[in-house]
Amino acid sequence: MLDVHHKGRAVVSSGTRESMERDAEVLHGYGLWATVSHDR
Amino acid sequence: VSDPGDDGAAPEIAEEIMTGFRHTPRGVSARFTAAEAGIVRSLVGQVAELVGGPGAAEEPQDPGGREGAGETADGPLPDDLAAMLGSFGPAAPPEDPVLARLLPDAYGDDADAAGEFRRYTEPGLRSGKVAAAQTVLATLPAAGGRVRLSDGDAEAWLRSLNDVRLALGVVLRITEDYEHESGGLDPADPRQAYLHVYDFLTYLQETLVRALR
Repeated sequence: MLDVHHKGRAVVSSGTRESMERDAEVLHGYGLWATVSHDR
Repeated sequence: VSDPGDDGAAPEIAEEIMTGFRHTPRGVSARFTAAEAGIVRSLVGQVAELVGGPGAAEEPQDPGGREGAGETADGPLPDDLAAMLGSFGPAAPPEDPVLARLLPDAYGDDADAAGEFRRYTEPGLRSGKVAAAQTVLATLPAAGGRVRLSDGDAEAWLRSLNDVRLALGVVLRITEDYEHESGGLDPADPRQAYLHVYDFLTYLQETLVRALR
């Protein structure tokens, strides 16, 4: 989580698109700017 | 949240620093002066109205007095379908920068995916923020005094305080370097008074988190 402090962002979760969207929705509820992206 | 340059009337906070939240056997607790309660209530109410529309800051009415959902039965759509359609949000992100921060895009590089996500999640995100704000307004008397929160109320307070800090942060253009820069702000800068409010909210949030551990 120190990545958030030093780089301004961090990967906090990975998995299927559906479960990532669910996590992002929860994090938005806490005011955290979560985004979903696809690893290439 | 109004622009700090709107009027000359800067909010005031008592010189005597409040002690913030503390853990007590009957829940977390803090004492507010009327001025402190007024500032928190005003900002929380403004964010609720920004997110939920006019009237969102009013305390929920007695459910018995509400128009029941079933009363629209003679409309062209069955109730549940109308409710389902009505529950979708917009696909486009808000233009207001404060709202855009409170209701962020979930995909930075894919506008279609971001729009789809927003349509399904934004109404719930908005109603959750409004509900948290209403909990703060219902548990913080306008006259101030001792506030005691259940765990559930405390979580709503944390969400709501965080929303207000995010909103103020956008308006005041506070970045992650804020703590290092704040000493250098021109004392005549109209943002100065609101930075004290921001610090006060940060202090409340920090003591509340500590009191809950």
